[in-house]
Amino acid sequence: MGHGEKGRPNKKHKSSAKEDHRIIVEDEDAYYGEEVDDDNRDGEKKRDFTKLELKPDHANRPLWACADGRIFLETFSPLYKQAYDFLIAIAEPVCRPESMHEYNLTPHSLYAAVSVGLETETIIAVLNKLSKTKLPKEMIDFIHASTANYGKVKLVLKKNRYFVESPFPEASDYVLKKLLKDEAISKARINAEVSNGSDGFTISKAKGEIGTGHEDLLSGAEVAAAAEEKETHAFEVDPAQVENVKQRCLPNALNYPMLEEYDFRNDTVNPDLDMELKPHAQPRPYQEKSLSKMFGNGRARSGIIVLPCGAGKSLVGVSAACRIKKSCLCLATNAVSVDQWAFQFRLWSTIREDQICRFTSDSKERFRGNAGVVVTTYNMVAFGGKRSEESEKIIEEIRNREWGLLLMDEVHVVPAHMFRKVISITKSHCKLGLTATLVREDERITDLNFLIGPKLYEANWLDLVKGGFIANVQCAEVWCPMTKEFFAEYLKKENSKKKQALYVMNPNKFRACEFLIRFHEQQRGDKIIVFADNLFALTEYAMKLRKPMIYGATSHVERTKILEAFKTSKEVNTVFLSKVGDNSIDIPEANVIIQISSHAGSRRQEAQRLGRILRAKGKLQDRMAGGKEEYNAFFYSLVSTDTQEMYYSTKRQQFLIDQGYSFKVITSLPPSDTGADLSYHSLQDQLALLSKVLSAGDDAVGLEQLEEDADDIALHKARRFMGSMSAMSGANGMVYMEYSTGRKMQGQLKGKPKDPAKRHHLFKRRFT
Amino acid sequence: MVNATKGLFISCDIPMAQFIINYNASLPASQKFIIQVLDSTHLFVQPHVAEMIRSAIAEFRDQNSYEKPN
Repeated sequence: MGHGEKGRPNKKHKSSAKEDHRIIVEDEDAYYGEEVDDDNRDGEKKRDFTKLELKPDHANRPLWACADGRIFLETFSPLYKQAYDFLIAIAEPVCRPESMHEYNLTPHSLYAAVSVGLETETIIAVLNKLSKTKLPKEMIDFIHASTANYGKVKLVLKKNRYFVESPFPEASDYVLKKLLKDEAISKARINAEVSNGSDGFTISKAKGEIGTGHEDLLSGAEVAAAAEEKETHAFEVDPAQVENVKQRCLPNALNYPMLEEYDFRNDTVNPDLDMELKPHAQPRPYQEKSLSKMFGNGRARSGIIVLPCGAGKSLVGVSAACRIKKSCLCLATNAVSVDQWAFQFRLWSTIREDQICRFTSDSKERFRGNAGVVVTTYNMVAFGGKRSEESEKIIEEIRNREWGLLLMDEVHVVPAHMFRKVISITKSHCKLGLTATLVREDERITDLNFLIGPKLYEANWLDLVKGGFIANVQCAEVWCPMTKEFFAEYLKKENSKKKQALYVMNPNKFRACEFLIRFHEQQRGDKIIVFADNLFALTEYAMKLRKPMIYGATSHVERTKILEAFKTSKEVNTVFLSKVGDNSIDIPEANVIIQISSHAGSRRQEAQRLGRILRAKGKLQDRMAGGKEEYNAFFYSLVSTDTQEMYYSTKRQQFLIDQGYSFKVITSLPPSDTGADLSYHSLQDQLALLSKVLSAGDDAVGLEQLEEDADDIALHKARRFMGSMSAMSGANGMVYMEYSTGRKMQGQLKGKPKDPAKRHHLFKRRFT
Repeated sequence: MVNATKGLFISCDIPMAQFIINYNASLPASQKFIIQVLDSTHLFVQPHVAEMIRSAIAEFRDQNSYEKPN
């Protein structure tokens, strides 16, 4: 795929990248040929790599660096581990199949590299050391250009005074002076010791970078230089002006983006929170590594850590909080995960019961004492409308407190403007974002770079699978041909709105689903989740197969009952879930997923759903390479061929393919010898089903709309529609609406901010 | 009296046969090309339409397949 093979017979195996890269490994020329196809499908220009000069000992070096910023890493090299750690710090992973990884150097990734303490010269030196070819000049220039201004200034909160710091003595005076020339910044400066020497910069010693782990790749002299204590120059700024100063330093103004660091050990103003990790909490190697990136120089950096679902993100979060030992505000996406986070804090740390509290619409707890952990949701904090008196008090407390750590779960779901709001409301020294899937269909991911911080660490899924930390999943795409009658209706123009219902309700798909459920329930004794976004299909399938189902409207009590039965009972082995199951519902028992319909082309949904079964199961030795079972979890995606679903399905898989997963295509399910055992065998039954689908109203066969839907753009390639910002953010239904019966107010239905001067004095306060 | 008509014999899978039938139905009466639908996988059509059908199917296929942008 991606190479112009569209015909069905050629498409038997979908792990495109894997196959292609295998070729590279064996034969370089083939690789270059492949490359050309890939990038210039129109076929005029060819990429010329003949200029690249191979080093004599290239066989010992693990990577290829290309002039356009792309880097290829051989995973079978003995240096793979070190090279991987280095590359993940400086470059963005594009695609990581088994034997060959592709990375891309971008300004953002280099910004991240600088912020974890790598210096321009170190980056170039190590890269040169690892590369099989001489580093292309373009790449060196690019690194210089991108990092020239990054990391030159840091914003440090010490003893509750904000300092702008520059760690490079030779350049610092120049940089700091340049900053001070800016009017806004010079106004914000607090002059403690005026006319003390030439500039009045505070000079202090800071510890050198420790634990970056790349020293072994450098010669001894370079290490010595890096570990030496450094002199830093700094000036203090007014806390009230920090936002302005930060803004002035962004790339669109002075272009000295600030790194934010929190010197929590020397923070004597904020009270300490007495919490430690319990002894049984043993962070795994990759969790340690991600934490070491965060706490590299004894201070806490803001940033994002990316780990797959089920790999123990919460332990990373709790460990970070335990290390900082200050008040911590933990933000989750919904009430269920708030409960889970509170549970995780109690499970892993020695925090006292009265020091942790949840703040949701149902439970409004407050901690006693002067420090503690608050777990709440984004919506609760960003909510703009009127609150109850009680929650108003709590939010006031959250606002006034200085938080040591702002812990943000599932950062990918929260749109930028909501973040800005949350971040502006809460004063925090350090921000840590956690996510499994740093992709959005609307490309708002880059905003996170400047709102939270750079990506500090990203784990390689396949390495975790090999280590036995997450389940080894067999992914399969089951192709179900449309039946004659259903396809005839699918093609008719007047049914364009029912297309989805028609391909989801395809009788062949139903039979495949029934077959798979039976096979896994009876032969393997597995626990199965069936996902369907389409509510009509969900109910039809669940009713016909007599299985329990959960969707948006299912009450909390019923949900708990069904899930409890699913977890404990031997009778209930299959549960049908709508979109609500994507993120919030935690079902560690399940190890099979059958997906019958999905949210169009959303890569994130596919990854999140896979995440439901990633939690490692069984004994460790069975899971390791060479263990008893090759696969212990199964992910089936049922697709009706010759329909739009094929398009979406391929698109959805891209993220997982980039992580190195491959999808097996199954074309003969159910086996032809299963006749009337499965439902909808006779033409009569099929026609009855068809007429049911056709007679259902358009609204009934549509998608389920959930409050949390933030990624709607995924639905179609390009769709424009009118809507409010709150609907885009998922805050739908939480907007304060003003209804009026009077004629005068007709224009103001939605409570939009109008000219404040004209507003009735009673309402003035509400909007300020 | 036996009538002989020259034509093209198409053999394909069930959905594609439906696609061709639907395509035929969407054309105005003067351009209809199917002479006889033989069964669910075989059609008998006018001899000159092979290219037209191919391109129609290719277009339909393109709509349903995703290619990774670079």
